[in-house]
Amino acid sequence: MTEHRQQEPPPGLYRPLRFLTARAAPLALAIGALLYLWRAFAIPLDPWAAAEPVGPRTLPIVYGFALLAVAGLLAMQRPASSPSPALSTAGAGRRWWQLAAHCLAIAGFGVAIGWLGLWLALALLLAALLAIAGERRPAVLVLAPLGTAAGTWLLVAVVLDVYIDPGPLWHWAFGSA
Amino acid sequence: MLEGILTGLATAFDPANLAWVMAGCAAGTLIGMVPGLGPITAIALMIPVSYALSPAAGMIMMAGVYYGAVFGGSTSAILVNAPGVASTVPTSFDGYPMTRRGQAGRALAVAAYASFAGGTVGAIALLAFATTLAAIATAFQSPEYALALIFALSALAAFAPRGEVAKTLAMALLGLMLGTVGTDDAAGTQRFTFGRLELADGLSFVMVAMATFALAEAFRMVVHGEEQQPAPRLAHPRLHPGDAKAMAPAVGRSAGLGFLVGVLPGAGATLASFFAYELQRRFRRGDDRDDVRGVAAPEAANNAACTGSFVPLLTLGIPGSGTTAVLLGVMLSYGVQPGPMLLDSAPTLFWGVIVSMYIGNLVLLALNLPLIPFIAQVVNIRRTVLVPLVMVFALLGVYLTSLNTFDVQLMLIVAVAGFALRLARFPLPPLLLGFILSGMLESNLRRTLLLAEGDWAMLLARPASVCLLLLCAVVWLVPIRRLFGPR
Repeated sequence: MTEHRQQEPPPGLYRPLRFLTARAAPLALAIGALLYLWRAFAIPLDPWAAAEPVGPRTLPIVYGFALLAVAGLLAMQRPASSPSPALSTAGAGRRWWQLAAHCLAIAGFGVAIGWLGLWLALALLLAALLAIAGERRPAVLVLAPLGTAAGTWLLVAVVLDVYIDPGPLWHWAFGSA
Repeated sequence: MLEGILTGLATAFDPANLAWVMAGCAAGTLIGMVPGLGPITAIALMIPVSYALSPAAGMIMMAGVYYGAVFGGSTSAILVNAPGVASTVPTSFDGYPMTRRGQAGRALAVAAYASFAGGTVGAIALLAFATTLAAIATAFQSPEYALALIFALSALAAFAPRGEVAKTLAMALLGLMLGTVGTDDAAGTQRFTFGRLELADGLSFVMVAMATFALAEAFRMVVHGEEQQPAPRLAHPRLHPGDAKAMAPAVGRSAGLGFLVGVLPGAGATLASFFAYELQRRFRRGDDRDDVRGVAAPEAANNAACTGSFVPLLTLGIPGSGTTAVLLGVMLSYGVQPGPMLLDSAPTLFWGVIVSMYIGNLVLLALNLPLIPFIAQVVNIRRTVLVPLVMVFALLGVYLTSLNTFDVQLMLIVAVAGFALRLARFPLPPLLLGFILSGMLESNLRRTLLLAEGDWAMLLARPASVCLLLLCAVVWLVPIRRLFGPR
């Protein structure tokens, strides 16, 4: 079951990777399992469900304890061979900031849909993501977002005939029709 | 069976379905060619499109996407030594050196013909296996289903690469846990919803698939940051004289092996292509670096295994790999429950999908091979354009299937978590498999114990369930030995 190959990260990523692999992952899994178990024990049971051999709580509790055990196993395992610290870390910091900016843009998109409607928010999102990714060609920055928004609108609203609310801004500008 | 095949042919040759399988192959090839984006991502990205189609047309298109993505992955492995998914890694071992020697067209032609042959063997075997296994599986009841699901999950650990057993188990458990979010079907109790109405129906399968594969993969590309090396200019791919004869035995062996490995839950195309490559190496004599069989063997096995993985999905309703888990999710969203009854309840879909797999292979050979010099240019698209497009289409897909922004926000959280897990080298397909099997496992286990009035011995009451329990025990010996045995 390894259809999706774990590609080697570039050298600049080794420090966070080593931290994630060796220390944070088992700890995060254990904390996650404990929080899950806490919520699992809080699942309300009516008298009928309580009498069942497998109630709504049973499997969540089993999964929670199993994950806790696996997290323990992971913590005991020796981490894989650590990469050489002499490798270059050039550009890694900038890429992490880029990732953070991408996440912010996506979060903003989730909020903007409610105000701008899907298609305008989509065009703005793509323009922002392109700019964050380092795209500087004006034609791409303008045409790709507009083309993508128009193309998907054509596919979804016209070809597939799915109604998508254009959003309050559209209604304000062009009325509700 | 003949009647079924005729039904399948009629469905597959319906002009609209034929167009969808071609579209699926084309989309799959384009997406699969992008290093890092494999069949799971390709299928996940196409889910919103499939929702607009009938179940048969949607599944036919998805089968095309699957094959196209596998073909696309092989192409990037051969051309730029960038196998996007593990199953195409062995192809790059001998394929990329051929490209460096100026034989990219020949390597691509070998890969295409071997894939086609593997797919053909797989499709024939699928016809035989699927109907036989479906007939046996009609006797399955909830105890057998529960144990078959436990077997499928156990097999994940057994087939996990050395050193990744605990991580694979952790991911499968995490998937099972995510699957418990929402309203409990039997008791009507809300579980892990934190009072949010949006979570009452559970986490959206499309959201989890897109977040963990498309968006998390795009995040990885951002942090990875390196531009792909450009694809070489290609002439028309064709075999050299004698290539067909040289590779025929290797293709036959590998296709048979690949299909059998593909049928096993948890094994999948990766193991099949590595096994086939290793097997082929043992048949080599002397220094044969120019051996086309090293490309043909993993490609034939890979494609045959893809077909083989449909056997447990179609006959038992149990996916054996991450890709078939996504396909199961698509089928369930259509209201189609795959399993032994599918043959009777939806023969058009069952046979249509099987025949379309073969048609998909044919389309790949007939259309993609001549067009590969042009299609290969996808590899040259700049990351600064590609990554934002992948993100936008993933987000759009999730929003269009739910039409609520909550799923978009949740997707971001799941994607960040998925990305962190990928960085820490946790395999994500088991998570998806656990997520999709969670509800099925719980409902079958509950039904079993309800019928048995709480008596767990019910799981051992029938010979089939005892066999499955024994299989589970055998399968568990492998990871336990790996975890605690001598190193």
